[in-house]
Amino acid sequence: MNGPFSIRNWRAWFAAAPLFLKGYGQTLLISLWGLIFALLIGVFAGIALTGKNKPVKALLRGYMSFFQNTPLMIQIFIYYNVLPKAGIRIGVFAVGVLGLALYTGAYAADIVASAIRAVPLGQREAAESQGLGYAQTLWHVILPQAVNVGLPALTNQAVNLIKNSSVMAVIAGGELMYVADSWSGTNLIYGPTFVMTGVLYLTICLPISMFARSLEKRSVRGV
Amino acid sequence: MRNNRRMLICLLAAALLLLAAPSLASETDAALDAIRTRGKLLVGVKADVPGFGAQELGGEFAGLEIDLAKALAEKILGDPNAVVFTAVTAKTRGPLLDTGELDVVIATFTIMPDRLLQYEFSRPYFVDAVGLLVKKADGISTYADLADKTVGVAQSSSTRAALEPAAEALGIKVEFLEFPTYPDIKAALDSGRVQCFSVDKAILTGYIDDTVVLLPDSFSAQPYGMSIKKGNTALLAAADELVAELRANGKLDEMVAANALPSVNWDEVDSYGESLWAAAAELAAQ
Repeated sequence: MNGPFSIRNWRAWFAAAPLFLKGYGQTLLISLWGLIFALLIGVFAGIALTGKNKPVKALLRGYMSFFQNTPLMIQIFIYYNVLPKAGIRIGVFAVGVLGLALYTGAYAADIVASAIRAVPLGQREAAESQGLGYAQTLWHVILPQAVNVGLPALTNQAVNLIKNSSVMAVIAGGELMYVADSWSGTNLIYGPTFVMTGVLYLTICLPISMFARSLEKRSVRGV
Repeated sequence: MRNNRRMLICLLAAALLLLAAPSLASETDAALDAIRTRGKLLVGVKADVPGFGAQELGGEFAGLEIDLAKALAEKILGDPNAVVFTAVTAKTRGPLLDTGELDVVIATFTIMPDRLLQYEFSRPYFVDAVGLLVKKADGISTYADLADKTVGVAQSSSTRAALEPAAEALGIKVEFLEFPTYPDIKAALDSGRVQCFSVDKAILTGYIDDTVVLLPDSFSAQPYGMSIKKGNTALLAAADELVAELRANGKLDEMVAANALPSVNWDEVDSYGESLWAAAAELAAQ
C-alpha cells in the first residue's frame, strides 16, 4: 500500500519516536521556563497596572501593546538574528524562553490587572481600616481572591504558550515542531509525523485545558 | 464532560480514517487521461531559487525547471503554455502530489533512495555538488576548518547526508542546524548563529555578496529529478522519455546554459544514476 499513511511510514515513524520524545521534552522544558517567567511578568506588571505610578503604567502599556500586536515569530527572529549584531548573543533555548515569556507575559499582565480590579473595593478598604499596609493588603487580601478570578484565563494562556512554542521551528529550536519538520522533510514521511506530533501536543495541552474548564465551573459556582 | 471526551475520540478516529482512505487508490493511464481532459499540466516549482525556479516581479516564473515543465506540457498536451505553475516549498511539495493538486513537482528535488520509496522520480535532468558558503571575516578556507563549528542547511535537503560522511572521513565533528528557507540560513550566517551556509552550489551562487565567499570544496553530487505521485507510472514514463529526448538532441544542455547554470557532465550522472534506484529496491525489499 502506497501513500502518506502506508504501514511502512508508520513503522518508520515509530522507529524514530525517541527523536520525537527528545523534542517533546525540549518543548516541555522551554514551555515550563517560559511559563514561569511569563507569570512573574504578569503578576508584577498586573499589580503595577492597578497602582498609582503613571510613568510605570505608561511604560507597561507600551510593552503590552507592542508584544500583543506583533507576531511572536518576528519577535523570536529578532532575538535570534538581530540581537547578535548588537553584540548580544543568547542561546536558542534562552531565545525561546525569553520570546515566550515576554509575549505571554503581555497577555498575563492584562489578566492579572483585571482580576485585581474584580476584587470589590470594600475588601481593600476593610483591610486598610484594620491597619494593613499596601503590600500586606495585596498579599493577604487582594491576591488570594484575584487568583480565583484570573486562574482560568491564565491557564488558557499556558495552553497558548505551549502551542506557540512551535514557532521555534523557524530558528532550529530543537523542540517538537522542529523535529517534526526536519524529520518529515528528510524522509518525506509527513503523514504519521504530523498526526503523532499533534497527538503529542494534545497530551500536554488537553489536560491543562480540562483543568481550566473545571476551574471556570468552580468560579462560576462561586466556591 | 464525559460526552465531550467521547465526541473528541470519535472525531479523531473519523479524521484518521479520512486521511487513510486516499492511499488505497491506485492509478495508471487514467492519470494521463485526466491531464488531457483537463487540458492543463499542474506543476509545482520553486519561487525563490534563481536559475531553477524563480518568480519575477510580474508574477511570471522563470528558470530551468520552468522550461522543463513547458517541454513536458508540450509533450503531453502539444502546447508548451498549457501549464499552471504553483510555488512549492520543501514542506508542501510532497503533500500536494499526494492529494493530486499537482501532477508533477520540478523543484530542485534531489533523488535519494529512501525518497524513491515515497514518490516516483524521473531520471536526473541536472546534477550539482554541495558547496560551502562562509563569511570572509571568519577565516575559514577548507571544510576541515569547520571542526566544532555549526553548519546551516535547509530542512528537507540532502545536504547533511552529503556532509556527515565527509566530516567523519576528516575526523572532525560538525554540528548541523536546519532552517525552513534559504534566506533563513543566510540570516543565521550573517548573525553568526552558523559559520557555514551549505546547499547545492548553483543555489549558493545566488547568495554571494561582499561579506561571504564560496569555498572550493565540493561534496557528493545531488541529482535532481521530476517527482510524481507514487504509482503514476504513465506520467513517470512520459517524464523519463522527455529527459532522454532532451538529452539526446542537446536541448537540455541549451536550457541549462540559457539559465546561466553550470553545464552538466552526463557521463558522471550515468555512472551512478542507476545505483540510486537499485538502492531503493534494496530498501523496499527489507
